[in-house]
Amino acid sequence: MTRDFRILVVDDELAMRESLAGWLHKEGYAADCAAGGAEALELLGGRTYDLLLVDIKMPGMDGLELLRKMKETHPQTLVVIITAYGSIESAVQAMKQGAQDYLLKPFDPEELILLIAKLARQRELIRENQALKERLREQERTGWGDLVADSKAMRAVMRLVEEVAASDSPVLITGETGTGKEMVARALHAASQRAYGPFVPINCGGQNESLLESELFGHERGAFTGAVQARRGRLEMADGGTLFLDEVGEIPPKMQVDLLRVLEEKAFTRLGGSQTVHSDFRLVSATHRDLAALVRAGEVRQDFFYRINVIAVRLPPLRERDDDIGLLAQYFLLRYGRETGKTVEGLTPEALRILNAYAWPGNVRELKNVMERAVVIARQPLIGKNELTFLQPDQESGPELISLEEMERRHIQRVLEAEEGNITHAAQVLGIDRRTLTRKLRRQEAK
Amino acid sequence: MPEASPRVLPVQAEVVPLGRVNQVACAVAAAHIKALLGLSSQVVQAAPEPDFAYLPVRGQHDAAALMDYLAKRRPSGVIRVGVTEADLCLPVFTFVFGEARLGGGVAVASLHRLWEGRYGRSAPRSLAYRRLAKVVCHETGHALGLEHCQELGCLMRFAGGLTTLDRLKMWFCPACAGELSARRAEPFSV
Repeated sequence: MTRDFRILVVDDELAMRESLAGWLHKEGYAADCAAGGAEALELLGGRTYDLLLVDIKMPGMDGLELLRKMKETHPQTLVVIITAYGSIESAVQAMKQGAQDYLLKPFDPEELILLIAKLARQRELIRENQALKERLREQERTGWGDLVADSKAMRAVMRLVEEVAASDSPVLITGETGTGKEMVARALHAASQRAYGPFVPINCGGQNESLLESELFGHERGAFTGAVQARRGRLEMADGGTLFLDEVGEIPPKMQVDLLRVLEEKAFTRLGGSQTVHSDFRLVSATHRDLAALVRAGEVRQDFFYRINVIAVRLPPLRERDDDIGLLAQYFLLRYGRETGKTVEGLTPEALRILNAYAWPGNVRELKNVMERAVVIARQPLIGKNELTFLQPDQESGPELISLEEMERRHIQRVLEAEEGNITHAAQVLGIDRRTLTRKLRRQEAK
Repeated sequence: MPEASPRVLPVQAEVVPLGRVNQVACAVAAAHIKALLGLSSQVVQAAPEPDFAYLPVRGQHDAAALMDYLAKRRPSGVIRVGVTEADLCLPVFTFVFGEARLGGGVAVASLHRLWEGRYGRSAPRSLAYRRLAKVVCHETGHALGLEHCQELGCLMRFAGGLTTLDRLKMWFCPACAGELSARRAEPFSV
């Protein structure tokens, strides 16, 4: 159990080092002995030790010198100084030089066992910490999170994101709902030089104008009814990082002017305030709407559009990324399998066919939800047709290829059912004359 | 000519009183080695007082020196367990209840600190004997090659004080018991 914690005992007295090493062996630790500083350094050259138990008084290279030398080459190795009562000052000096603790000779066995257990735990925490940092660094380096893709279209997007990440130019991400616009924004942030700064997202849709204004610019105390204390806005929070404006097309034209000024000057004032606040952030915006059309319709100011659309990234909908459906489905299956503790191995060929045939109007988000539901209801390691039955009635483009005439017949039936058989109302919905509808129905009945 | 197969010796244990030692305590030690470790055991003739191991600076006896003494007179295939009334220590440790050479066939146990009872009184004899039996079984386990165990209550768990020693059960956990039976089955070649 403790064999992976390796200890080196350094003491010039044979009896001392042998009894200590012998006791450590009994305790289950891997322990070696060295008779002096030089021998210890030699052993350290060939093997990694987690802990060194070093006697401070040794002929030749003493404990302090050994500590100094080994901390240069093995800074991660923990050191405990063993000292006699008279040399306690040297032990304190050793602690200042980086030793973890000291023991007064002779010591209580229980004291040693507690100290080593504490250091073993400390070493374990250091290792865990290093591993976590490594994982974070890796994640920051790639920064793709749930953006699993192998299709040509998405690879092009990923390449573009990596290319533009280093610059500070504003980026506009367009794409249907659920295509992963925020994830791409986060990846951009993670790959940029601002990765260690904050990533501040705000959804501009579904908020009234004054609330959005307060959220963005912040406010001073008493700026409006209910502003009982001053509050920093998202623009301020994003200083040194990235501001992500989701649903940017929903920002009212008046606020577009204010934002345009902020983007030009990198400065603004809080609502009800007079002091200028400076904020240096990179702007990444996203929308599922056609901003160019909104400019034409006068809903979005042209200057604002040009300012935020320096670099455009278009995310293709899932239906244009057939290659990714299976890959994403597998990814989400494994993920939800892990989270729910279920053993899910993959999809049956039939299930994969159903997924590929579906139109995915909700894109990756919908696929993710479908897979989560499938894992929850799954009773077998392979997800099959049964787990996806809820998906089939909503299919927009089924595998069945039908004629235009058959399509018309089914559509008329649907509208009639919806209008409870009222032909006049159904004709209105269909946008045709009542007599035309009656004629069509007669013709269908005749067949 | 075919090679002669090595003679397999049954593992035995000898309890050696080191100097004047309570005879009942030695008998208790031998009985527990037999009952818990499954070794044939007996109390042998007492050795002389172990003055050679006395450390005047510390006022204690060196457990390592006692083990050296026991090892010199150890017949092949026999584990020698010394029992002493002297207070034992190791160069690094302030005291030890007992000590053994890992897989080396020798062990030593001291009664000195086992008499300590509550509120400064002496412990009842029964408790002191029970403590000695635990120390002896633990050290004999080491002498056979067993390491410390982390299982709560197991006799191979390290006990650095009387409170911990008293919490140990008169029991080897399944892992240690399995290890013991494997060691017993092997020819004792140390």
